Amino acid sequence: MTGESLFNQYPISSHIWDEMKGTEGIRHQYHSIYEACQKLNLDEFLQKHQLAAELFMSQGITFTVYSENEGIERIFPFDIIPRIITGAEWDHIEKGIKQRLSALNLFLKDIYNEQQIVKDGIIPADLIASCPHFTREVFGIQVPFDIYVHIAGIDLIRGEDGTFYILEDNLRTPSGVSYMLENREVTKRIFPNLLGDSNVRMINNYPLLLHDNLVSFAPRQIANPTVVLLTPGIYNSAYFEHTFLARQMGVQLVEGRDLLVNDHKVYMKTTAGLRQVDVIYRRIDDEFLDPLVFRPDSALGVPGLISAYRKGNVAIINALGNGVADDKAVYAYVPAMIKYYLNEEIILPNIPTYHMNNVEERNFVFENMHKMVVKETNQSGGYGMVMGNSASEEALKKAKENILANPRNFIAQPIIQLSTVPCLIDGKLQPRHVDLRPYALCGPNGISIVPGGLTRVALREGSLVVNSSQGGGSKDTWIVD
Amino acid sequence: MLSRIADSLYWLHRYMERADGMLRLMHTSYILSFDKVQASSMSWEPSLRIFTTLPKEEIDRIKKDNAAVLHYLFLETKNQNSLKVIITKARENARGVQDQITKEVWEQVNLLYHQINKPGLKEKLAGPEAIRTIDSFIKSSDQFCGITDSTMPRGQGWNYMNLGKYTERCLMTTEFTHFYFKKLDFDLKDEQDIIFWRSLLLSLSGYELHLKNYSNLKHNYNVLQQLAFDKNFPRAIYYSLDRANRYLTEIAGSNPVEGSIKLLRTYGRLYSSVKFADIELVEREGLEKYLIYVRKELNEFSQDLGRIYFSYS
Repeated sequence: MTGESLFNQYPISSHIWDEMKGTEGIRHQYHSIYEACQKLNLDEFLQKHQLAAELFMSQGITFTVYSENEGIERIFPFDIIPRIITGAEWDHIEKGIKQRLSALNLFLKDIYNEQQIVKDGIIPADLIASCPHFTREVFGIQVPFDIYVHIAGIDLIRGEDGTFYILEDNLRTPSGVSYMLENREVTKRIFPNLLGDSNVRMINNYPLLLHDNLVSFAPRQIANPTVVLLTPGIYNSAYFEHTFLARQMGVQLVEGRDLLVNDHKVYMKTTAGLRQVDVIYRRIDDEFLDPLVFRPDSALGVPGLISAYRKGNVAIINALGNGVADDKAVYAYVPAMIKYYLNEEIILPNIPTYHMNNVEERNFVFENMHKMVVKETNQSGGYGMVMGNSASEEALKKAKENILANPRNFIAQPIIQLSTVPCLIDGKLQPRHVDLRPYALCGPNGISIVPGGLTRVALREGSLVVNSSQGGGSKDTWIVD
Repeated sequence: MLSRIADSLYWLHRYMERADGMLRLMHTSYILSFDKVQASSMSWEPSLRIFTTLPKEEIDRIKKDNAAVLHYLFLETKNQNSLKVIITKARENARGVQDQITKEVWEQVNLLYHQINKPGLKEKLAGPEAIRTIDSFIKSSDQFCGITDSTMPRGQGWNYMNLGKYTERCLMTTEFTHFYFKKLDFDLKDEQDIIFWRSLLLSLSGYELHLKNYSNLKHNYNVLQQLAFDKNFPRAIYYSLDRANRYLTEIAGSNPVEGSIKLLRTYGRLYSSVKFADIELVEREGLEKYLIYVRKELNEFSQDLGRIYFSYS
């Protein structure tokens, strides 16, 4: 089979937006790849697919499943056909994310200080008070430049008419950026000329931007502040990303046991004695960071870290307590936040969200269960999600019981048919649903977003769940001008 | 450099060096297992005795069965010292310091790891492809050395890596020497022919050097001279200690912490006892005693090093 027939036989559906093909045929941003692929035959496609898998394997871009004395390596599936977004679409996305993050930063500052937004009745107090990630321990701590969200991963999806919606905000320790960067490196090898010819915007300066951003938060005014990346260790599933970023930025990758706190200052233990640490880019959840303040059984953290943070002797990135802003129930209030703090209309719309502790909304959802997706408000990674259109009657009944037992813990949203992109599966191009996670950096000089992001693919036919823990894969994402 | 990183680099290279030594010994043993001469009666005995903790009866039971031995030495995860376990540990160490070693070094360790976990390896080791398989591992191990040498920056990390490598190498040569001389009750006068020594020399990649540099008489003395004191033989005890001394001096010089002077002094004593010794002295004092002394001092040194530079938990 030739590339041409692969593309021509690609099916589209009338009620789903396909990124490559519309009713008038292949969209213009996909023309360059369409032309390049026409000359290839199926074997060459499969070879490229194989080459990509080998590249991930040999570089150790894998996660490990352990059993006695040996581990089994798995790679995150990668699809070779890039997902392409036009420059104009991207500029709109960029504006929308910047607006959203500005508001979310102001919200976090407000909620951990004066709480004006609650006093003014924009957000109900019980919503905040009942949020498991509202962290009283950090109330009143002043953070440098009033920035709480230094690194954000905002998930976007595209509805059937092509509109981008915000699916959720990841403001704690968003992961996946290394896949965005590595996917591009792999694409460079499997489609060498295509990238250059297609005028794709560059993303590989992300680690440098991240490093500059981290350095700018150092509390000490010195020439070479010490920045470290704090990892839970080699057994963490995102460990590859931690080493990747540390290496690309040239900073130390540390574990909790490498650090100690003395006199409210953080030090790392080196072969030449102790060395003070200024900025910690942590990839450990809040509750494991300091056993003296949060979970006392945590062996991953550093005792006394929060005391150093409170004194302003160390910058922790992202700030603690951000979970209150990316809570799935608080999400529904982001448009109101944007209006309240910025006096602007929201650029990238939210998906309508129903709160389960509101009786009317709950009844509406229960009546339309088959059109709804129910999510737990404090879960991520696709856990605790019930898709009304595919779940069994029993699962729906169970979901209703769970909701009634703890309504604050759930929200519901109408199921949006995510847009599709072509994926090479079983020797054919088949449509699969995708989302998009661009990575934004907030620093003292504003917000910057590298053009692109991680496109996650739900590899099972018809599935709308893209999380890697639920059988998702990824694609390179091109922004073309 | 973080203490944890130094620790991992040191152990990464100890494990890689051990894997290398094991592979060379296995290679020799495998080939000799087909020879029907006197020396080959030992065939797998050195590998099994030096690198495993199997009881004597068990060794006697499997030592004639190439497939069973190779499986145990290569792949058996119950064997804490099998190649698979050692390479897995090396990779764990490399993984924990991925940002401190070059991408090339990491990829090579990772490659070895995938090589040993490749499906079908067990069958290959049991069949006619066994020797080619062992060779391919030796090649990967050689590549690891080459890649490390040509890409790693010379600095703290390099020093710890090499200190680990030469410590392990010295221990292995001491072990091997001890094993073979024990066969003659450490009696240097109990003359053995070169066939007896050939497997030992081949396992340490020193056979050709021996033929070139040493006379055809008094093999026992010559072999001991080469393995213990030859300053040009890269697996000699003296050579390894000399290299380790250089890296230790750099480490202690740039990281003068509490205890580093004492560590240098302890090591210096061991180093001198090889540097300024000769065959006559060793024969007078007793070869067995001498080899045991070197091994014990080196193990204690490794523990002291850990306490002074790697204690982070």
